[in-house]
Amino acid sequence: MLSVVADLPRRELAARLAGPGLVLRTGPFANRIHSDVPQLADGIALLYADYPVAEAGGFADFHLSLHRAGGLRRWFRPQVRFAHDGMTPFKPLPLAQAFPMFEWVMNWCVSHRAHSSLIIHAAVLERHGRAVLLPAPPGSGKSTLCAALVTRGWRLLSDEMTLVSLGSGAVLPLPRPVSLKNESIGVIRAYAPDAVLSTPVEKTNKGTIAHLKPPAESIARAADPARPAFIVFPRYEAGAATSLAPLPKARAFMGVAENAFNYQVLGARGFTALASLIEATTAFEFRYSKLDEAVQLFERLARDGA
Amino acid sequence: MWRVVPGQSLAFREWDGEAVLYNDLSGNTHLLDGAAIEVLQALRQRPADAATLAAGLASRFDAGADELSAMIEAMLAGLAGLDLVEPFPC
Repeated sequence: MLSVVADLPRRELAARLAGPGLVLRTGPFANRIHSDVPQLADGIALLYADYPVAEAGGFADFHLSLHRAGGLRRWFRPQVRFAHDGMTPFKPLPLAQAFPMFEWVMNWCVSHRAHSSLIIHAAVLERHGRAVLLPAPPGSGKSTLCAALVTRGWRLLSDEMTLVSLGSGAVLPLPRPVSLKNESIGVIRAYAPDAVLSTPVEKTNKGTIAHLKPPAESIARAADPARPAFIVFPRYEAGAATSLAPLPKARAFMGVAENAFNYQVLGARGFTALASLIEATTAFEFRYSKLDEAVQLFERLARDGA
Repeated sequence: MWRVVPGQSLAFREWDGEAVLYNDLSGNTHLLDGAAIEVLQALRQRPADAATLAAGLASRFDAGADELSAMIEAMLAGLAGLDLVEPFPC
């Protein structure tokens, strides 16, 4: 029987992180995490409270280590250093950025290792049995829209990486905290005052970052795949009227391919998987500036179908 | 004369007059119009020149034979640039 992070007393959480490793399950993956950084333990305790943890000695897909840099750095502008299976692919960052770094590292592990799925840089949410993919580059308002939908009862499958099974074509859930940047943090605080957000971390290379705790129901359903129904390319534009325009399938294919992490790596298998995804879905371009209107439109889309 | 570059399986999907095609040699995916797919499929049957391709496809396009032949010549040059077709010595 797996317990969840919230079941672990804080001292036990810190002891596992400092000792044998905390084995945290996120969707289909087991992550063994080693760390001596208090900010990381704080973030995990707050945002991963509902996630299953396995026994320390169990199998893990990913082995992550985030430690304070040694030497004088420990006292003078302290930094955090990440290692994965003994390699250090990222530069050390200021210690205060430990939790955002952890989230980036978790994404990096999936995007570099999980090649049994087509991995798309897209949020994916489900309502009324229909999954909606939101592929988009940074700055499109994808995460803001995703966070708003999550606070209105949508099931979160992922904020950042959509996993489409090469075998079944289903979307495999990987619910993780939703990353909010800069103005989006205040927007979501105002839109959903009860939502749990981490303390914003300033001056990261993406600006100010805070994370939204995912709903416990989404985590509890992390083993239930979803049927893709819509692909919606969102674009936030200040002052824009809410509009949803059909996107031809071949254009949608190219748009998704541009936003996929491993489409090229997968070669012909990626082409076949993406073609099946496009066949199974209806695609749109979406512009918005008002979250309320956007959420209402998505509710109608999921309820009524195309 | 032109032919499909050996090694290209021409895996494609076509929807509403537009197609995506997987390039086995480069690993890239190309967005093509339906006419290019028609040309590639004809060349997969047998090598041909632009005039022969134009004659075979004339019934499906609203253009004169010379105009169609010129369009197909330009299209073949584009497809050659993607390493999908290549000149084939007679």
